[in-house]
Amino acid sequence: MEITRKKFLTAVGGAGALSLALAACGGNSTSSSTGSNGKVDGTGKTLTVLFSTKPQYPQEQQAWFKKTADKFKQETGATLQWETFPTANDEMTRIQTSVVSGTGPDVYGLGTTFTPTAYSTGAFVKLGDAEWNMIGGKDKFVPASLGISGPDDKNQIGIPFVSRPFVMAYNTELLQNAGIDKPATTWDEFSEHGKKLTSGDQFGLAIAYKDNFDPWKFIWGMSIQAGNKLIDGKSVKIDDPTVKKAYETYFGWLTNDHSVDPASVGWGNAQALAAFAAGKAAYFPMTSPLSIPTLDKSAVKGKYKYALMPMIPPGATSRPPNGVEAASILSGDNLVVADYSKQKDLAFAFIKMITEKDAQSDYYSIFGELPTNADAAKALNNDPMVAPALESAAKSVATPFSGAWGDVQLALTNVAVQSIPDLAAGSVSDSDLSSRLKDAQSKSQAALDRAK
Amino acid sequence: MSIEATRKNRRTAPGRSAGDGPSRKSRKRKGVTERNRPLWLLAPGGLLMTLVILIPLALGIYMSVIDLDQYTLRKWLSTPFIGVENFIEAITKTELLRAIWISVSFAIISTVVTVPLGVAAAVVTQNAYRGRAVVRAVFLIPYVLPSFVVATVWKTMLQPDGIVNTVLHNVGIEGGLWLNGPQSYWTLILVEIWAAWPFIYLLALAGLQSVDHEVHEAAALDGALWWRKLRYVIFPYLKGPVSLAFLLGTLNHINNFTLPFVLFGAPAPADVNVLPILVYVTSFQSFRFGLSAAMAVVSLILILIPLFIYLRAVKLDVHEDGVKK
Repeated sequence: MEITRKKFLTAVGGAGALSLALAACGGNSTSSSTGSNGKVDGTGKTLTVLFSTKPQYPQEQQAWFKKTADKFKQETGATLQWETFPTANDEMTRIQTSVVSGTGPDVYGLGTTFTPTAYSTGAFVKLGDAEWNMIGGKDKFVPASLGISGPDDKNQIGIPFVSRPFVMAYNTELLQNAGIDKPATTWDEFSEHGKKLTSGDQFGLAIAYKDNFDPWKFIWGMSIQAGNKLIDGKSVKIDDPTVKKAYETYFGWLTNDHSVDPASVGWGNAQALAAFAAGKAAYFPMTSPLSIPTLDKSAVKGKYKYALMPMIPPGATSRPPNGVEAASILSGDNLVVADYSKQKDLAFAFIKMITEKDAQSDYYSIFGELPTNADAAKALNNDPMVAPALESAAKSVATPFSGAWGDVQLALTNVAVQSIPDLAAGSVSDSDLSSRLKDAQSKSQAALDRAK
Repeated sequence: MSIEATRKNRRTAPGRSAGDGPSRKSRKRKGVTERNRPLWLLAPGGLLMTLVILIPLALGIYMSVIDLDQYTLRKWLSTPFIGVENFIEAITKTELLRAIWISVSFAIISTVVTVPLGVAAAVVTQNAYRGRAVVRAVFLIPYVLPSFVVATVWKTMLQPDGIVNTVLHNVGIEGGLWLNGPQSYWTLILVEIWAAWPFIYLLALAGLQSVDHEVHEAAALDGALWWRKLRYVIFPYLKGPVSLAFLLGTLNHINNFTLPFVLFGAPAPADVNVLPILVYVTSFQSFRFGLSAAMAVVSLILILIPLFIYLRAVKLDVHEDGVKK
């Protein structure tokens, strides 16, 4: 009996080892893009593209997928196969498996802040002059949108596809009633307006303290405006006074000024938007024109506008000499081409097609995401609703291009998350904030030390 | 019963090894002998188990001893071997130990509360009465709702200005913050209990179904009142199913990712930074795959301990029928 069982185990174990070895060998493809002149002929080939799903516009997205595939077939003869991922986690899993196995989608649509991580895997095509020419040249894009394509001009992987710059929405009626003739341009003025606009159950500001992303965007923005990029070469600068000042300002809207609804300690961005849409808040910073459909169906329809968020750091009346004029993080989607792809020419032909002026204008009209194509963006300038967003896109600044950025972002958000009980209780003590910042600093520095 | 079975096994063993004619014949009559059992029939299942469990497990353990992160992911086969460094880092430099403490205490509290609830619910629906089917169906609602839905609904109700705090406020109690701070730990337990007790209920119900009809009759003839009957007649029958439910329930609580993730988000508040969330954040937000694999291995060991104790206790591998053949 023992022998039989042993034999059995050996046989099964052997099969396992074999399949393991096979899995390990099945990687590395040979890059075999054919350098063709003029139009790329993709007859009989299939190009696979991975995009994120748009839960707000499922049918529109399917229609766009089909339309784009038809056009691609017409232009190149190749079939376009779409794959989608619902969350950033699924996206990461797809990228991981593709990177490890060397097979998978040819083109990926990535969030801009995810581009440094993708870059650090080394699994995507670096864009040289030849590649840029294949997609119609760098010049066709809004210059700022290229800011997070790579660590420098010579090492870029991301081709900007859409832009989602952050702006603030404000309630024109409430501002007018309070005698404020134009939206705030410094963070101090913004805080003052917040106080002035608060009375009864109506609040000056709608802030999503519990959001998983918003907090770090505020802190990064205020810090860089004060001259602190958070990652400076080999060191992380979260323990800098500018960062502390930023948190104090951000928390202070609730704890000192009381110009934010106390319930906002439980809000994500969507709930802050809902409060603004209900006319309960005068300012809603950290939103984008994607909120237009919601706001146009709400109580504030026709009574709201967008403006750039303040670009003068807290505690100052003008930007310090080393401060950066940053209106927003560089936000949107980049397209990257997998290094293992056997049809890179087709991939670039596809990217060229969807970044052309008409395609980008069309995409904007369906989904409300701003074009990165310079001509298409210019055409939208006449729309007063969108103009501030376009200006914000032009004044967007890339977050540090480092594989450690994910950890910095996480640490900054974590400071806000762990401070929420204090926020709810009415004050965040100086010592608690300092110790949280110290923790964030050491974790982020450790991540940066590992960066290769 | 199992001890008896083991004794039988020992008694038959010498005769088997002698391999004399008559005894072999007698075994043949009973069916397939132990010696020539068609073990190859296990091959498809074995292969599947290898592919689905053993290879990923081996890969996970391998990952835990290499320096795998976003920078080395692409060349993972040549990633530097760093031995136990990931484990040392996990234990000394991360919140792993605290996360283990939170996970284990939360799991045990949840189980300790759900077991009596589940057993009581099973007893209540044991005897037939009008509307029993409806009650049974209602009891299963938390069990059939996806975790994601449960967590989303609770999250909405427990907002600072949500319905729970509004109701509490109306009766003069300030609910405070449910989804962050020290209270969030109890929120997690509360929601887990709400979602998990029907599992215990199901297993307890299965146990009650196995009580022979004669036992009920005998108890009735002896004039046992409901509590004595429950305590001395029915509960002994439930010991097996309920201890299994206790074990599986605890393991499910420790492994539950969806509930804390949806309720509290990531990064999680320090009081509910449970093991699955910590592993998730380390993997997918910090991209330290090696480190998170080490954490997963530690949690696997953690889970194996009660499992091992349980398997030893019930001796699942020694079965009465198995011994005879």
